[in-house]
Order: sequence, then C-alpha cells, then structure tokens
Amino acid sequence: MNRIVDHPILSAPEGRTSVTFSFDGAALSGFEGEAVSSALFAAGVQTFSVHPRGDAPQGIFCANGQCSQCTVLIDGVARKACITPLAEGMDVRTLHGFPELPARDAPRAAVSGETLSTDVLVIGGGPSGLAAAAELARLGLSVILADDKVSLGGKLVLQTHKFFGSEEDCYAGTRGIEIAKRLEEDIRSLPGVTVLENSPVAGLYKDRKAGVWRNYESYVLVDFKALVVAAGAREKSVLFPGNDLPGVYGAGAFQTLVNRDLVRAARRVLIIGSGNVGLIGAYHALQAGIEVAGIVEILPKVNGYKVHADKIVRMGVPVYLNTTVVSVEGNGKVERATVAEVDKDWRPILSTARTYEVDTVLVAAGLSPCDEFYRQAVDFGFLAVTAGDAEEIAEASSAMFGGRIAALSLAKLLGKKVDIDESWLAKREVLKSRPGDNLCRDEEIPTEFWKPVFFCTEEIPCNPCTTVCPTHSIQLKERKGSIMDLPYFEGSSCKGCTVCVAACPGLAMSLMRRVDEGWAEVVLPFEFKADFEPGARLPVLDQEGAFLEDAELLKKVFNRKYRTWILTLKVSRANAPRAIGIRVQSEAATRPLPAPRFEHLPDDAVVCRCERITVGEIVRFIRENAVTDVNQLKTLRVGMGACGSKTCSVLLPQVFRKAGIDPARTTAGTLRPLALEIPMKDLINEAAGRPL
Amino acid sequence: MKTCDVAILGAGSIGVPLAYYCAKKGLSVLVLDKEPSWGRGQNRAAIGGIRATHSDPAKIKIGLLSLDIARNMKEEHGLNIEWHQGGYMFVAYDEERERSFKDLLVVQKAAGLDIDWISPDRVLELSPGLNPEGLRGGTYSPGDGFASPLMTSTAFHKLALDAGAEFRFGETVTGFGIEGRRIRTVRTDAGEYSAGTFVNAAGAEAAGLGNLAGLELPVHPDLHEGGVTEPVRRFMEPMVVDMRGDDRSGNYYFYQAGTGQVIFCITPKPQIWGTDTDNTSAFLPHCVSRMVSLYPRLRNLKVRRTWRGCYPMTPDGLPVVGYPREPENLLLAVGMCGQGFMLGPGLGKILADTLTGDGARYGQVFEELSLYRKFEGMELLK
Ligand SMILES: Cc1cc2nc3c(=O)[nH]c(=O)nc-3n(C[C@H](O)[C@H](O)[C@H](O)COP(=O)(O)OP(=O)(O)OC[C@H]3O[C@@H](n4cnc5c(N)ncnc54)[C@H](O)[C@@H]3O)c2cc1C
Ligand SMILES: Cc1cc2nc3c(=O)[nH]c(=O)nc-3n(C[C@H](O)[C@H](O)[C@H](O)COP(=O)(O)OP(=O)(O)OC[C@H]3O[C@@H](n4cnc5c(N)ncnc54)[C@H](O)[C@@H]3O)c2cc1C
Ligand code: SF4
Ligand code: SF4
Ligand code: FES
Repeated sequence: MNRIVDHPILSAPEGRTSVTFSFDGAALSGFEGEAVSSALFAAGVQTFSVHPRGDAPQGIFCANGQCSQCTVLIDGVARKACITPLAEGMDVRTLHGFPELPARDAPRAAVSGETLSTDVLVIGGGPSGLAAAAELARLGLSVILADDKVSLGGKLVLQTHKFFGSEEDCYAGTRGIEIAKRLEEDIRSLPGVTVLENSPVAGLYKDRKAGVWRNYESYVLVDFKALVVAAGAREKSVLFPGNDLPGVYGAGAFQTLVNRDLVRAARRVLIIGSGNVGLIGAYHALQAGIEVAGIVEILPKVNGYKVHADKIVRMGVPVYLNTTVVSVEGNGKVERATVAEVDKDWRPILSTARTYEVDTVLVAAGLSPCDEFYRQAVDFGFLAVTAGDAEEIAEASSAMFGGRIAALSLAKLLGKKVDIDESWLAKREVLKSRPGDNLCRDEEIPTEFWKPVFFCTEEIPCNPCTTVCPTHSIQLKERKGSIMDLPYFEGSSCKGCTVCVAACPGLAMSLMRRVDEGWAEVVLPFEFKADFEPGARLPVLDQEGAFLEDAELLKKVFNRKYRTWILTLKVSRANAPRAIGIRVQSEAATRPLPAPRFEHLPDDAVVCRCERITVGEIVRFIRENAVTDVNQLKTLRVGMGACGSKTCSVLLPQVFRKAGIDPARTTAGTLRPLALEIPMKDLINEAAGRPL
Repeated sequence: MKTCDVAILGAGSIGVPLAYYCAKKGLSVLVLDKEPSWGRGQNRAAIGGIRATHSDPAKIKIGLLSLDIARNMKEEHGLNIEWHQGGYMFVAYDEERERSFKDLLVVQKAAGLDIDWISPDRVLELSPGLNPEGLRGGTYSPGDGFASPLMTSTAFHKLALDAGAEFRFGETVTGFGIEGRRIRTVRTDAGEYSAGTFVNAAGAEAAGLGNLAGLELPVHPDLHEGGVTEPVRRFMEPMVVDMRGDDRSGNYYFYQAGTGQVIFCITPKPQIWGTDTDNTSAFLPHCVSRMVSLYPRLRNLKVRRTWRGCYPMTPDGLPVVGYPREPENLLLAVGMCGQGFMLGPGLGKILADTLTGDGARYGQVFEELSLYRKFEGMELLK
C-alpha cells in the first residue's frame, strides 16, 4: 500500500473508516469518502481507462475535476475518479473505450429545479472567493458562494508549506491548510452567505442565471445581480511525446495525492518547470519520501523564488536550466524520461540528451486562469469581477487581497457607498509582484552572541521574520519601501529564541554563535523526518547546495507552532556563516542512465488529451484546410472532449505557429455551457422525484 | 476588381457545398462570409440529421440527392463526415398522431420513399429502453441518417478549395452595385467584386441581404437550442422524433452520432424570434426532462455541451429557391428552416447544374419553392 504514514508535517486524518471495494474484480481497501483516484493510486493502480483511439492507457492529469482524464467505470457508470468519493462495495473497473449506457430504466419523475436568488454569486471558494464573499456579506449584500470541493480553501488545502507575504495581512508563515481552515470558519459564521460546497457551477446563461450541479446530484439555477469569478487556475499541459502516458500529471494533482490524501503516488519523479509550483512540488515529494531526479527548466533562469530553489538544491535536487523534456516513454506507464539542453531557438540539442529512470513526470509549466465564466459574463453584459488566480496567476496572499478589492469594486457598482483603502491596492500589487533583484550580503562573522544569518537575497514579498522576533531585532532595510525589501539583523539583542528560523517560509535563515576559535553553534530549520539523535553527523550544505562538512548534531527541538524541527549543529568556524541546509536526498537518485535511451517523435505529443489528437495531426489539418479559426479544429474533435477544451486551448497557439500561422491571426474557440458533464437524471432532479 | 462567374454570399450549409459543385463544373467561384471561417453561421448549430422523408416533393427530391452524397462522401472523396445510416423514426403515442403519420405515408410512398409503419416491438428493437407505455409504433425510414455538420462543411470547403473556389472570410456584404435589372457588383467592408451571378445564401440574415438588393424575403430567424452528451457505445439506431408538444415546446428529436454521443434539440413554444445565439437557462432542464420521460435509459447519460442557433424560417416552413423577378441575377437559396444542413449538398448540386444550363429536370423544385408562391399552411414534418 502506498500510504504515507510518517509524514514530517502532516498527520493522517483521524477517524477515517476503512472500506472495501473492487478494481477489475480484485478486492482492495481504501478510506470512505476519499477520492476513488487516490484509493486506486494507494493500491498501485495508475491506469484508469483505455482510450478508444489507439487503445492508449490513460491515468489522471489534474486530480481536480477539470480534465476528465481519470474516468473509470464505477458501478457500471463512467465517472471521474478524482471527484468521486469512495464508498463501501464500489465496483470500479477500467473503462475500455466508450462506456455502455447502463440499462437502468426505472425512472423517477422529473422535478423542476429550484431557482435561488442572490445579490452576488461567487464562483470558487479559494482564498480570493472566500475573501470576496466575506467582504460582500459585511456590506450587507446577500451572497451565494459555490465551490466544487467538499472543503473550502481552494488550492490552500493542498499546501503544507508556510506562506510568504506578511503576517498581519495574509497569515504569512502559516501553512496553507491552516489558513484554509480559518477562512472557512470565518465565512461560515457570516449570516448573509450561503455556501454551496461540493457544487460546481456548470454554466452561465444569457438570462442572468447560473446552473449549479448541487452536491453532484441535482441542478439548481442561481439568479444573481452580479458575479465574482474566483475559480482559480488550472495547470497547463506541455507538449512532448509520451505526455499522455499514465504517470505524467500536473504538480497540483501530485499535491492532491500526496498532501491532501497522503498517498505516496510515486517512487521517483522528474519535474518540468521551475516556477514555485514545481519547486514546491519537489519539496513535497521529498517530504513524502519520494525521490526527485531533477527539475528541468527551458529558460536560462529559475522561474520561482530563489529561496525555494535554493532550499530544493540544498536537499539534493538538481535544477537543470536551458533544458527541456524530449520524450517520456514506457510500456503503458512512465518508465523513463529523456531531457536535453536547448539551443537559442528552444530546440532540443539531442547530443546532450540524458535519460532518467522515473515512474512519474510532474508537469509544472505554469497555470492558466479559469476565467471562462468571467469572459462569458463580460460578453453577456453582466456585472462581473474576477479575482485571484482567475484574474492573474499569483499567490494566495495576493488572491486574498484581490478578493477583497474585487468585492468592494463590485459593491460600488451595485450602488453601495464604499471606499477602497488605497493602501490595499498597493499591497496587492506588492504581493503579486515577481521577485525583484538578487542582492549580495556580506558574510557574517560568528561572535559570542547569537545572531541570525540570512540566506534571503532576492527581493520577494515576505516579512514574517521581522514580525515574529520578540526583541524586534530584524528589520527590513528600506530600498523599495515595501515588504519586498530584505531583512537585516539590527542591533545586538538576539536571545537565540529560534522563532525566526522556525517561521521563515523560505528556510533561509540560520542562527549562529561562536563557541571557541575552532567552531560555532549553528541553528537550522528542518522539515523532514528527524530520525537521528544528538551525536549524529549530518551533511551540511551551503546556500547553493555545495557540501561543507559533516557536522555533529548537538540538539533537536520540535517547534509545534510552525511544525518545524530546529536543529543545533556543531560547525567549523569557517563554514558556520555559510551553513544553511542538510542534504536529504542521495546523489544516486539523480543519476541518469549510462547512455540515453529514447526515440525523438515530437509530432506524437498529444494536444487534446480528451480526444487524443497529436501535434502532427493538427498541423497537417491546419495546412490542408487553410485553418485560422480554432473552431474548425473541431472537425478533428480537438476541444470536443469532456473537458471542453480547458486543457488543449492554451496549447493551440504553439501548434498554429508550428503550422506556419501566426497565432495572433487566429480566432479563438467559442465558449458554451456546460463547463462539466452532468447526467440527465441530475439535470431533472430525479432524486427528489417519485418513482414512475 | 476581382471578377468571377458566381459570387456566393454566405459560406454556410448551403454556400459551401454550392461552391464545390460550381467550381467542379468549371465556374470561377468566390465565396464571401463575415465569419472568420466556413460554417460558422447556423451550420455549426445543426445537429446533423439528413433525411428525405419530408412531406413535399421538392424537399424529398433534394433530400434524396443529399443522402446520396453523404453516403458516398467517404468512398468518393476519402473524407470522413461521420455518416451513419440509422434511419429516422417518428414515434406515435396517441391515435391521432398514428393516423396523421399513416396518412402522410401515402404521400411519402408515392414519392418513392423507403418508409413504413413499424410495430412497437420494432420501435423498441431500434431504440431499446424507449418508454413502451402507450407506444403505438411509428414510421421508420431506414435510408435516412446523420452526419457531422462541422465535418461535412469542412469536407466541402476542402473539396471546393481543391476545385479552385476562393473563400474570403471576415468580409461582411454591405451593398450591391445594381444596374437596371441586374447586379453588377457586391460590396463588402473590405472590397468590391463583380460576378455574373450572385447567390444569396446568407441563412438567418438572408432577408437583410435581400433588402440590400431591394428585395423583401420572408425569412425570419427562429431560435433553437441543441445539445450533445458524452459518447457511449451504440445503443440506438435511428433519429428519434417525438412530434408531441407540451406547454413550452413542440417537437424534439435526438440521435446517437457515429462517434457515440447523443445529439438533441427541441422546438420552443411559442417560437423565439431573433438572432441572440447565447444559451438560456430554460432549455436544458426542459428538453432533458422530455427526453428522459420518452427514453428513461438516457437518465445516466451525461450532457456535455449545449448551444443555440437559428432556423431561417419561412411562413410555410419551406425554403425559397430560385431567381426573383428582379434583380434577375440574384439566385436565392434561403429560408432553409430546420433543414438547411440536409438540403445543402443536394441543393448545391441542383443549383450548380442550373447555373451551367443543366437544370431543366428540376423545374418542379423551383416552382414549389418559388418566392412567388402563396406561403400558406405549414409543412407537417417541419
Ligand atoms: C501547486 C500550487 C502551489 C502553490 N503554492 C503557493 C505558495 O506556496 N504560496 C502562495 O502564496 N501561493 C501558492 N500557490 C498559489 C495559490 O494557491 C493561489 O494563488 C491561490 O490559491 C489562488 O486563490 P484563488 O482563490 O484565486 O483560487 P483557488 O485557490 O484555486 O480556488 C478556486 C476554487 O474554485 C473552485 N472552482 C473552480 N471552478 C469552479 C466551478 N466551476 N464551480 C465551483 N467552484 C469552482 C476550485 O476548485 C477551487 O476550490 C500555489 C498554487 C498551486 C496551483
Ligand atoms: C439547434 C438546431 C438544430 C438543427 N438541426 C438541423 C438538422 O439536424 N438538420 C438540418 O438539416 N438542419 C438543422 N438545423 C438547421 C440548419 O442549421 C440551418 O437550416 C442551416 O444551417 C441554414 O443554412 P444556410 O446556409 O442557409 O445558413 P448558414 O449556415 O447560417 O450560412 C449563412 C452564412 O451567411 C453568412 N452571412 C450572413 N449575412 C452575411 C453578410 N451580410 N455578409 C457576409 N456573410 C453573411 C453567415 O455568416 C453564415 O455563415 C438546425 C438548426 C438549429 C439551430
Ligand atoms: S532568534 Fe529570536 S530573538 Fe533572535 S532574531 Fe530570531 S526571533 Fe529575534
Ligand atoms: S528571511 Fe524573512 S523575508 Fe526572507 S524568506 Fe525568510 S521570512 Fe521571508
Ligand atoms: S484527473 Fe480527474 S478530472 Fe482531471
């Protein structure tokens, strides 16, 4: 069983009930209410269906109900495994080709659906939607908030790491899962808000109504005056041959499996993309005891925060810049991935190819906003705003601020007298900002007094180290005049309390104190299983991950509030100012095969995952039929699948370019309801009807 | 100025096949459309039914031609349009309906159609799980079928391109240069073109285009919504048509496409005139509840997408085809109502023949669909 039982930060949810179910006839067990996909992964099953085109095996991609890749047969009905809760006795089967329509003809009467009325409908219960809903309710507006998950919080519930930002504005230093809990409690205590959890919004209609699939079993219409679209973002797919193999999936899906559902989903992963999502994915993998062969990044520079990249590298995960994936191969599942450096036109240089033995490839090549409802609302002339990732991909902290600002601007449009605090706008901008400059710091010299040492050199919106210090010894040094500025130690009153080290989300701080001429005590944070005792020797690394020395552990203490180990080590005088990490992954995990092993078939990359249409097929079609309108690709069934072109539409510009057509000259596909498939019996609220 | 034999105004269900048949006959063809590509007017909204089982001889004739073309598309041109010959089945649950279908059978058989009355058992064999209660049987025409309107339009566009037709997209027709009784040029927002014959194939906007040439055309856009489900293995054969109505709708019909999805649409009551093709919230619950009560097995089928489009309606439910008295070189191919997709290929062939002097045998079609007919009554199987 691939269950994580000894996670350094997460404890397994208590009080879960074990249930038995079957997969292709074999008895398995899982937990009641967990996603069927997670139960299957825990049992080692990664292939959920066999696609009718080319008999290709299919696994999950988003684990978020968006892509429909994970469809399996459950009790004879085709359903998305990642959003179907497991129940006792379920008969789960691989779906081969199209499903059979079950011959269950015992109908119940149709019941006309309810129409709920509200001032504002908020789509999405992540940080931005929750913040917007709370703000609107405080202004006396009635709000319906619909979210497609059982628990609110959006992506926060997947995030086990501490957040950046500032403590006072956005719970910085706290872990995403805990922020989600607080926001949820807050929203549920507000009288004007009706929460429709577990209820995706499936369509917007011209008569100013939205269709909601309530509890995934009935269909209600919501009549609204105005709309907040806070539906977050979805992962972009990437084009490489083998991108459709089971075992290639999004980094968000990985977080869902590993962090939310505590499933050890992989043995060794390769990660595509060095944004924060990819970097954090690597960190979460290591925490869950999963090896990371490396992170590849096609750009010449790490895309995420430097503190994240540094800590990943220190843990023993290489980041390969100017590098892309050329092929992922295996017999029905991922077995190896080949990467190569790219030339100045981003073409792979095959002579540099290296093949890694991995069972999973995580796609973390950026997110695209779930803004379809917003675009439609604008088209329809509705009063609508968007916030959070749906507006612009950023961070949870700015999403919360953005939600509040969006709510206020909407309230204004609805005739409420409100003033938007100017400072909020500025704060949101800061919180959204990309990292600033990377500055140099002078090397600290150990003295007989405790002092913090900062490995935080790149300007990012973050300041918890300054706010947690009981002696106010840490201050931002004014350069930009915002929380982008870097922290410095001021004065000499450090008590060595270690709180700053525990709170720093970048794991970018140590404490240091000279003991004698030869060595110093160094205090480091550690978020892994600390299965060693004082006296042990640990491999200590510098900021860039270079090995410094094996240092003796003097003391280990667990900080409960920040759920972080605080380790005190005996480090040589010379290395003490540079010691910041402890390697957790051995080099063997990152070694490529002695010789590369791959076929280079770039035209085989799958663009439309639902319908399995490749780059080559589309390019040929575009050329033969003089296509410049994305709608015409429907002849090939591109975008006609269950996901409604959510996954492929962002890839199509690349494909047009490949066919020699400037994407700027193309016409986008038309948006139509439904945003996700709904069985007819739910559309007519059959469950509430009498038997016929 | 670009000059051609035929300028086809509208690259839709009618214009695209017509372009192909004209080009194939050696005419130089220019097709103009305001949309960014072909078939983006109402063709994209059609659900894909193709039948010859109409209640009037002209449409029967055109329908038979279209069926022949659809059936042979793959073999003749190697192009897949997802043709599936599942037949059309009109079901009867009351005596009156049974009688009117049977009366019509006499006309249809006389016109040489392969159609007959079938028993309830046969109905259930063709569509297992259909509600048997009160079922009296139905008419079944096994030669009819369905194809994908998107793929069909793309296929004809490709054939037309290969045959030398020129398409200009993103150009809206804004006026005509008229001299005496004839049109000399057509103006768009991007240019002016001259031609020997101009074809009004502007679908739901045909009346507006007619106006530009000083012509009143009785074509009014009538809004309809349609939808498609997930694909499942084949479980039903024919297009099922239920002609009954209720307080909010008239007939509705659905079929299972060659690729496994069920595609459906309904006729709202009263009719909704207009051109606003954005979806409304009323369609789905209503249409689906009627479908499930007729066909309970559909309960577990998931709806995937819905859309809205117009029938270019005429007062009697029949198209208007032929030349007006003036301008005498403006060929009308308008008012296709709910059947433009199925009439397109056949009509394309007929009109191309007519334009090249081969049209004598279609005299009856032009007579029946003349702009100067009386427009009385309503077609029974509209
Ligand atoms: C893998 C990953 C790692 C991240 N790491 C960090 C980090 O370390 N620090 C940080 O600050 N930020 C991080 N972020 C970004 C942060 O999580 C997002 O910016 C933030 O969650 C955005 O908030 P939101 O409210 O806009 O969207 P989300 O949190 O995505 O919430 C949107 C909600 O809307 C729901 N929804 C979508 N469509 C519908 C529909 N049709 N009907 C009903 N509900 C719907 C979604 O399921 C979701 O629950 C990360 C994001 C990802 C994806
Ligand atoms: C829900 C629904 C289901 C249907 N199901 C079926 C079915 O199963 N079978 C069937 O046969 N039919 C069906 N129909 C009807 C069918 O869609 C129409 O009859 C048919 O598309 C009309 O064809 P057309 O060529 O006249 O118009 P269109 O296909 O709309 O083509 C007209 C073209 O003219 C262009 N145009 C208009 N004005 C101008 C201008 N001024 N300048 C330039 N270009 C212009 C438009 O952009 C358009 O592309 C259905 C319709 C709907 C709405
Ligand atoms: S160790 Fe404690 S006192 Fe010293 S700088 Fe950090 S938080 Fe402040
Ligand atoms: S040192 Fe301070 S500013 Fe830098 S990452 Fe850590 S907490 Fe944030
Ligand atoms: S993996 Fe289940 S919908 Fe994407």
